[in-house]
Amino acid sequence: MNEWIAVGALGVVAVGIPLGMMAASAMLRPTVPEQGKAATYESGEVPTGTARVQFNIQYYMIALLFVIFDVETVLIFPWTVIYRPALEEGVSLAAVLVPMFVFLGVLVVGLVYAWRNGAVEWVRSPRAQRQKTES
Amino acid sequence: MTGGDVVLQTTNATNATGAGVSRPPSAPLADSIAGMLGLDGVVGAVVGGLIGAFLIANVMLTTTAIAGPWAKRKITASFTDRIAVNRVGPFGLLIIVADSVRLLSKELIVPDGVDRPAWDLAPIVITFSALIGFAVIPFGSGLQLADPETGVVFVFAAASIASVGVVMAGYASNNKYSLLGGLRAIASNIAYEIPLIVTAASVVIFAGTLQMSEIVAVQRQPLVTVAGVTIPQWFAIVNPFAFALFTLANLAEIGRNPFDLPEAPTEIVAGFQTEYSSVYFVLLYLGEFIHIFLGGAIAATLFLGGPAGPVLPGFVWFYVKMWAFFLFTQWARSAVPRLRIDQFLDAGWKGMLVLSFANLALTAILVGVIV
Repeated sequence: MNEWIAVGALGVVAVGIPLGMMAASAMLRPTVPEQGKAATYESGEVPTGTARVQFNIQYYMIALLFVIFDVETVLIFPWTVIYRPALEEGVSLAAVLVPMFVFLGVLVVGLVYAWRNGAVEWVRSPRAQRQKTES
Repeated sequence: MTGGDVVLQTTNATNATGAGVSRPPSAPLADSIAGMLGLDGVVGAVVGGLIGAFLIANVMLTTTAIAGPWAKRKITASFTDRIAVNRVGPFGLLIIVADSVRLLSKELIVPDGVDRPAWDLAPIVITFSALIGFAVIPFGSGLQLADPETGVVFVFAAASIASVGVVMAGYASNNKYSLLGGLRAIASNIAYEIPLIVTAASVVIFAGTLQMSEIVAVQRQPLVTVAGVTIPQWFAIVNPFAFALFTLANLAEIGRNPFDLPEAPTEIVAGFQTEYSSVYFVLLYLGEFIHIFLGGAIAATLFLGGPAGPVLPGFVWFYVKMWAFFLFTQWARSAVPRLRIDQFLDAGWKGMLVLSFANLALTAILVGVIV
């Protein structure tokens, strides 16, 4: 219990330091409003439209896979903690190792399936394929 | 025998072995400060925690202040055969003061159409996530703010919050480069987070605990004695393959070369931080540097024996190891070209992920054989 109070205290300090720096800077810095200064940076050109656009993020399938594997890593952690102590207690190797290998095996089969179906590939649009200039 | 029994018994066994290992009697920093002030209970925990937190945070801020405006320039200059800052103060060290004042007194330009609360919060989130990870890092010499039983999980959870801050900055800036930088940050997160944590899990298999101080204590045990020199059981020596994987995944996690795609100065200007100026830029920069040192601190704790080392006190050794990791990131920055985004995802999902799971399985078998 105590230790989480200390962690929370560091959390308070970790928010306080940025806020303090912002306050110090607000007292120091000038404000010179000027036309055109607030335009977003687009390599010196006048910005064309907003950045809130619909956009192909390419790794959509990978993001879905990530959710599965992330949950899996969470489920692996309890096993890693008890693994060595259980062996030292005299539990047989098969009893602690085989169930986890079965669990990992199911996921590996899933990964292989996704891989073979091209889910891990970088998606290329048909137009980019047609206009490919490099070999 | 039910599974519950195993967990219960083994927890006791872990505690017993932990006490048996030659572990110096060091209470967490918050408790020892509270003890020094003669406070106990909740008041002592809060006061001790706040003072300890302030101390740790300031150590890291000072480290970052040396690393950012001075050491980084000097290191890069040495790699490219230049001199870098040498005008202000001895070795140009006072450039740190000059740069802080200069950056803090810049005008804050708020671009058109930024998403205001998110744009303002992103620098705070990034700095916060990097700093709070240090709560469980054992600096040695009793300098560990808190020592919860789930330390390893906590530190990875804290470090990954930074991605949220980067995405907030990228989306809120209303700039196409920032948007690309934010999306690339997600890509690096989803590709390298799992190898990082699974490799750390292989250390946990060896140590049998998630508590940072226990992991350090396990590494203090001798591995072999060669010609009178005892080599400790550091996990980098026990399992160099896992260490190499971890270091690579760590580079991607903290977004340094060759994986610095979220920033990629030669491709997308400055990525997610394109539209930030003044103190907000300082905070993003600060957060990134603290994040590098957090990555170094995690690597030092899990693989390099934490504060262990001959002659010098523990804190100095830990500090040296963190700086060694920083030097390594800067070396990679000078020496290795950046990956393209599709190569980056391929390397993560087809290489690192498979290798890290192979490493986990092999470590489990190895531990099963030797125990």
